[in-house]
Amino acid sequence: MRPDILRAVIGREFAELVRNRLLLFTIIVPPALLTVAPLVVGTLVQGGERSLPESLLRQIIAQRPDWSSFSPRELAAAFAIQQFLIYFLILPAYIPLAVASFSIIGEKQSRSLEAVLATPIRTSELLAGKAVAALVPGLLAGWLTYVVFATLARIQYGPNLVAVVSDPSWLAGVFLLGPAIGLLSVVAGIIVSSRVNDPRTAQQIGGVIIVPIVALTILQSTGTIIVGASGYAVAAIVVAAVAVAGLRLGVALFGRETILTRWR
Amino acid sequence: MSATAATAGPTIRATGLGRRFGEAWAVRNLSFDVAPGEVLGLLGPNGAGKTTTVRMLTALIAATEGSASIDGRDVRRDAEDVRRRVGVLTETPGLYEKLSARANLAFFGRLHRLPSDVADERIRRLLTLFDLWDRRDEPAGTFSKGMKQKLAIARALLHEPAVLFLDEPTAALDPEAAFIVRDAISRLRAAGRTIVLATHNLDEAGRLCDRIAFIRGGLLRIDSPARLRDEAGRGRVSVLFAARADGLAEAALGVAGVRAATASDGRLDVDVDDPEQVTPALVRTLVGAGAAILEVRRQAATLEDVYFEVMGVRPGAGGELD
Repeated sequence: MRPDILRAVIGREFAELVRNRLLLFTIIVPPALLTVAPLVVGTLVQGGERSLPESLLRQIIAQRPDWSSFSPRELAAAFAIQQFLIYFLILPAYIPLAVASFSIIGEKQSRSLEAVLATPIRTSELLAGKAVAALVPGLLAGWLTYVVFATLARIQYGPNLVAVVSDPSWLAGVFLLGPAIGLLSVVAGIIVSSRVNDPRTAQQIGGVIIVPIVALTILQSTGTIIVGASGYAVAAIVVAAVAVAGLRLGVALFGRETILTRWR
Repeated sequence: MSATAATAGPTIRATGLGRRFGEAWAVRNLSFDVAPGEVLGLLGPNGAGKTTTVRMLTALIAATEGSASIDGRDVRRDAEDVRRRVGVLTETPGLYEKLSARANLAFFGRLHRLPSDVADERIRRLLTLFDLWDRRDEPAGTFSKGMKQKLAIARALLHEPAVLFLDEPTAALDPEAAFIVRDAISRLRAAGRTIVLATHNLDEAGRLCDRIAFIRGGLLRIDSPARLRDEAGRGRVSVLFAARADGLAEAALGVAGVRAATASDGRLDVDVDDPEQVTPALVRTLVGAGAAILEVRRQAATLEDVYFEVMGVRPGAGGELD
């Protein structure tokens, strides 16, 4: 792997990315909304008159004993804010998928890959460049959104709720599981994009990887489970293992001959 | 350093080259050499194996059998080195349309690991050569088809390759754009560039190529356009008369070596075994039969005649020729 070639591929990918308004919209708007939404919801819940049902409160405290010192309103707000951690996992899932599918299918449509493959570039360098260029915006968006969100939370809430969004479960979710999901998303983007010719179709098919995250959201919102730091860390290892296994298929699909003779 | 370092042997050597996709052979038993500075045309119908041949020679896909070398480097064993030594114009320009002309070339300069000052100088020179310098910072997507094709040729030349492969360079271009691209190829030819031109444009091949290789699943014939025309033209003599040629066809058929004769108005077309031997006797016989001959000429075949003869088919003539 030659760094200068890798940089060239990544540089070109970014140069095209910043000229693609639809893709930029996809990358910028949802994270911006996600920064504000948890704070609004948390404020509404904390300031509201209604509390969570007693049975749910007991269930939450049983799963998160560290929240037992919270007032009922703080507990309700913490529970509401906790739901949003899942959305910080969706960012690294869908942004790399969108970027990878636009990148690969865009090259299929413009038929620009053959000229690239006719140069001394190695397919591993091309694949790695595209993967990094797809992964980085998703990770940065997720991390940046989280930092901004945590900063605003510090300003708006008391120390108890700030501790919620900076506890190990959030850190493990954002900084371990997020990148693993991003990698899986890139792999899904590569595999699906090699078979279809429309970026939106690729995103719809590749979007299947979001289903487990949505399922986790539902389970957490009902208080059935509230995943802690170790749960996110284990999930990160499992997802990364699946991504690495999928990457082998992706590499095979990204072979010079395969691209030239089978990609249509 | 330029990749044009010459070797003593041919720039391209293909030996028994073949490629199979599944059970079907796209092309087989291709053997030919291309000398430094030569322009070789690959002619054949769609699906004849031209693009597959170009892809094998440029180390884009592996040959199933046989071998090939570029500038002395084996296309299979030294694939990366071969790709450093070839420039390829693909069937479609395949440009990054949101990027400017200059950014497109700069990216390929980096893929070829050209120092930035060298790349900048070549980009300026090539864009100037192809009259694109004034639009260097405009997105390639705003260019006309001819301009895109010229930009793609500039991209293929950026690293100064030993061989330039042009796959259907004027396909789908309007006459003006095609003229511009052909003119660009002519200039490269005049500059001594070794070029392989895959096309099914007979006129283009005839004007630009030193030799033409007819391909359809394999190499059918290879020679210079003049010799190909000459060989195809051998055997036909046309005689023009001052008056109608009534009865002269029968007279011509009496000459030894004449196979067929067709008269129409003041013209007689005669198929003969050997024009150099038969023509004098034919003229004597016709004059003796009272013909007032204005002109006798050996019929020059067109590349189209050659093409159909080599391919063994002629549209509207009932398919395969015997």
